Parts: sequence; C-alpha cells; structure tokens
Amino acid sequence: MATREIISTGNELAAIAAVDAGCLFFGGYPLTPSSEVMHEISDLLPKIGGVAIQMEDEIGGICAVIGAAMAGQRSLTATSGPGMSLKAENLGLAQMAEVPLVCINVMRGGPSTGLPTRVSQGDILQSKNPSHGDYKSITLCAGSLAECYTETVRAFNLADRFMQPVIVLLDETIGHMHGKADIPTAEDVKAGIVPRKRFDGAPEDYFPYECEHDQPAVLNPMFEGYRYHFTGLHHDRKGFPTEEIETCRKLIQRLEDKVELHKDELESYEEFMMDDADIMIIAYGSVSLAAKESIRHLRKEGIKAGLFRPITIWPSPAEKIKEHTDKIEKVLVVELNIGQYHSEIQRAAARLDIAGLFKVNGRPISPYEIVNKVKEL
Amino acid sequence: MAKTLMRFTGVGGQGVLLAGEIFAAAKIKTGGHGLKTATYTSQVRGGPTVVDIQLDDEEIYYPYANDGEIGFMLSVADMSYKLFKNGVKPGGTIVVDPNLVHPTDEDRKKWHIHEIPIITIAKEEVGNVITQSVVALAIANTMMNAIDKTALIDTMLSKVPAKVHAVNKIAYELGEKYARAVMDK
Repeated sequence: MATREIISTGNELAAIAAVDAGCLFFGGYPLTPSSEVMHEISDLLPKIGGVAIQMEDEIGGICAVIGAAMAGQRSLTATSGPGMSLKAENLGLAQMAEVPLVCINVMRGGPSTGLPTRVSQGDILQSKNPSHGDYKSITLCAGSLAECYTETVRAFNLADRFMQPVIVLLDETIGHMHGKADIPTAEDVKAGIVPRKRFDGAPEDYFPYECEHDQPAVLNPMFEGYRYHFTGLHHDRKGFPTEEIETCRKLIQRLEDKVELHKDELESYEEFMMDDADIMIIAYGSVSLAAKESIRHLRKEGIKAGLFRPITIWPSPAEKIKEHTDKIEKVLVVELNIGQYHSEIQRAAARLDIAGLFKVNGRPISPYEIVNKVKEL
Repeated sequence: MAKTLMRFTGVGGQGVLLAGEIFAAAKIKTGGHGLKTATYTSQVRGGPTVVDIQLDDEEIYYPYANDGEIGFMLSVADMSYKLFKNGVKPGGTIVVDPNLVHPTDEDRKKWHIHEIPIITIAKEEVGNVITQSVVALAIANTMMNAIDKTALIDTMLSKVPAKVHAVNKIAYELGEKYARAVMDK
C-alpha cells in the first residue's frame, strides 16, 4: 500500500482521516483538548460539499450527528471527557436504534471539568459503557500520530459494518503532539471504504430490524421511500415500540452478539519486542510511547522487557492477553488513571498479581518511571 | 547528529508553539525525526507555556524531553523560566530576555545563561512584536547548530502569511546576529 508523509498533530490527522473515509458531516461543540479536530474539519468539509456545524452544546452535537447518519451520511463528532458525559444518553440511543457514527474522545483529566489542558486516560471505563443498558461498545485507541489517522478510518468502516457508534480514544499528548506520520494515501483509503448495507427490495417488504441473531440492523437512509420507525424504546422489526417478551430479549441479545460473536473482525494490538520478553508491559495510547522508550533503556541493561499494546480497547483482546500472561510471570500495566484497564487485564489473565504503574496528576509517565518500576518487580 | 533537546518557554499567546512546530517540521523535511509537544494551562493567554522540541536521526518514541537532559532553553517569561529551568542539564545553555526574566546568581553558576532582549529586538528593530518567535528560532538554531539554516527559513516561511515573509526574514537575520554576538563574548 502506498503511503504519504504528513507533518501534523494527532487531532488534525484524525480530522483529515474522517474526510478521507467519506465523512461529510460533523456536529459538535469545541472542547479542550479536542478542539483542533473541529477546527480542521470545519475547514475541510465545506470545500468538498460537506457540512460542519457548531451546535449549542455537546448534546446537540451528537444529536445532529445521529440525524445526519440516519440520512445516510458518514458522520463524526469529537469531544473530551466532559463532552462524553453529556453525549452518553444519545450514544445509548445510537446503540439501541443502531445508528453508525464515529465519536472521537481526546482524553483530559477528570472527573468533571478536571484538568482541561492536561493528559489523562481516565475515560477507559466510560468508553466501555457510556450509557445505561446492555450493549457492546467498540472502542479504538490511537498509540501514534499515524494511528490517529488509520484508527479513525477504521472506526468509520466498523461503524457501518456493525451499525453502532465507534469511539476513537486519543489523549491530550497524542492529540497535540506535532510530528511526522506515514499514512495511507487518500485514494487507498477511499478504495477501502465498505459502505453500510442497504435493502433494495420493495419498500413494503422492508423490516430494518429483522435480521440474523448476530447481525446488525439494515438501515436505509431516510427520505428515500423506505419508511420505518426510529426510537430508543425496545422495538419490533419495523422499529415500533413493543413490550413483547421474546422480541425484547432477542433485540438486546442481538446488540451484544453482533459484536461478541464477531470479535475477530475487531481485534487489533501491537507486540513490541515481545518475542523473547520475560517482562510484559501493557500500555496503550501515548503511554505506550514512554513504554517503548523505557524498553530501549531496559534492553541496553540486559533486561528483556516487551510491550503489548491493545489498539482495539473494547472489546479487549482478552484471549491474546491470557496467552501472554500464562507464560510471562512479570506483568506491568502502565496507564494514566488508577487502574481502569488494569482490572480488565486481571480479568483476562485470571490473575490478581498483575503490577500497576498509575498516574492521575495530569502529567505524563516518563520512560524512567517505567524503568524504575520494572526493576522493582 | 546526536539527539537535540530544546525547550522554549513563555506565556500563552507569544508564539512559542509555532517556533516548536517549525523546528520539528524542518528536521523532518531534511530527512530526520522531529517532534514538538507543548504543555500549557487552562489560562491559554497569559499562562505559563512550555514547548519541548526533539530532533533526532533515530525514531523518537517518548514525545516529551526528559527533565535533566535538555541542552538548550529559551525563556521570555519569568514565571515560566522558574517553573521549567530545572529541566536543563547542568552546563546547558539558557537564553533569556533580560527585561522579563531574572536568573539568580546560583542559576548563572549552574548553566551558561545568555541575555538577549528578544522582545525589544522584535518590537523595535524588526518593527513587529509577533516576529519574536522567529528571533527566538534563529537564536536557538544558531547556538545549537541544529538544522541547516536554509531549510529552517524555508519551513518558517511556509508557515507564515506571504505578506510577512520579508519582515520574518529580517527577524531571523537579527536573531542570528545577536546570538553570534553573545557566543563571541
């Protein structure tokens, strides 16, 4: 695949990726440290006939995006933690009604207003269950400038494949750092777009929510003659509210199974110097950059450390993690929160002796802190 | 070339972020690796701002400069100077605007501190205070001998509007002149 070199920031690369992936609508409200996603896409979309709109708040942003997605457009919103809290209810609506959209969350310190300009990874668990109820989130996490681009592209394709919101996690460091990214050409990205399924039969035969037990709804764009009902209530095959026991059970089970039974299509991770590693560091996002630097230092001292970096955070690559943790005794999870993914690693590994290095003061974890922690293990 | 670590500090709105971007981009364009990271406070205008610039021939992973490893720092605000000076390694070079930053006698023993009135040069000699970031860029590059001058100027010009190209070229030359003057002392 041909690549091109772009010198930019993570936030800007994510915006460029959305446009290359065929996104024609952005709705949102600027929020530090995500604002540059909106700035950049507001510049790009009008030039190609798209629309970027600043709504009255983050709730309005995601509602506009749901509307655009229902009209058939690939659509994006971007925000940070406090904005995710506001969007949560409507992320739930998009899960229930099976509306494909992409939501970028550039993480900053929380809870509440927290540390607006500082880095954090405090939204890991929120991204698993932003809204109430049962559903299966898909969350991707960029660990380099290039991945701010490639994971945003992947998010759009996954949203259309699974017909649900896909969250892309960046963090303040990766969103704002400025450097080189080798990314696929726009032509290759366009060639790789798989649009959402459509129903082409007679409108009277169209039942958008009548699908196999592990498959997503087939939502034709509205205003094209295929009429159906749209609701957050439990609904029947035509989208109308129902309390019929078996219909309700099947609907929620299907929301789970359409993702759970197709995890292989979602799984993505990086293994860095893991071949001969006898110490495994697990990190994601910008922290993985510090981890790689720390491994450089540790290897120079003869300590065989390696990095396992989940890229698809939810669903987690649990089987792969267990494969490693069954063999490797010393495992260290490094993250900018108080162990949000650490608990998932404990679950996946079925071990309670997984070590952790956590930080929650808005400052990055330095490679030397990781080196020192590894030596203590 | 070995790894070069530089830190620019000031207050929000002074243009230190742009200077960092120009350095990183110029290094990448000349075939190496460059990375700029910035930290600032919620008080975007007037709050202490720090920009770390890493230039390397090898791939850079960790985007921030490690404290105690920085070879060069430039500061145009006293509060930022005090907050971030300890990132500079002993014996490293620090350039300050003497009208705004006041190093202690102890600081002067620990680091090579040079005084260049960056803001005054931009305001009075170039005639446009906004060019202070380009004066700073020229000082840093001249003292650190980090990047080919032409490549740096070309990158800088690509990031500022055409109507201010001439004035920014003057700013660069003046920055270089002042840097050479303090180096010759």
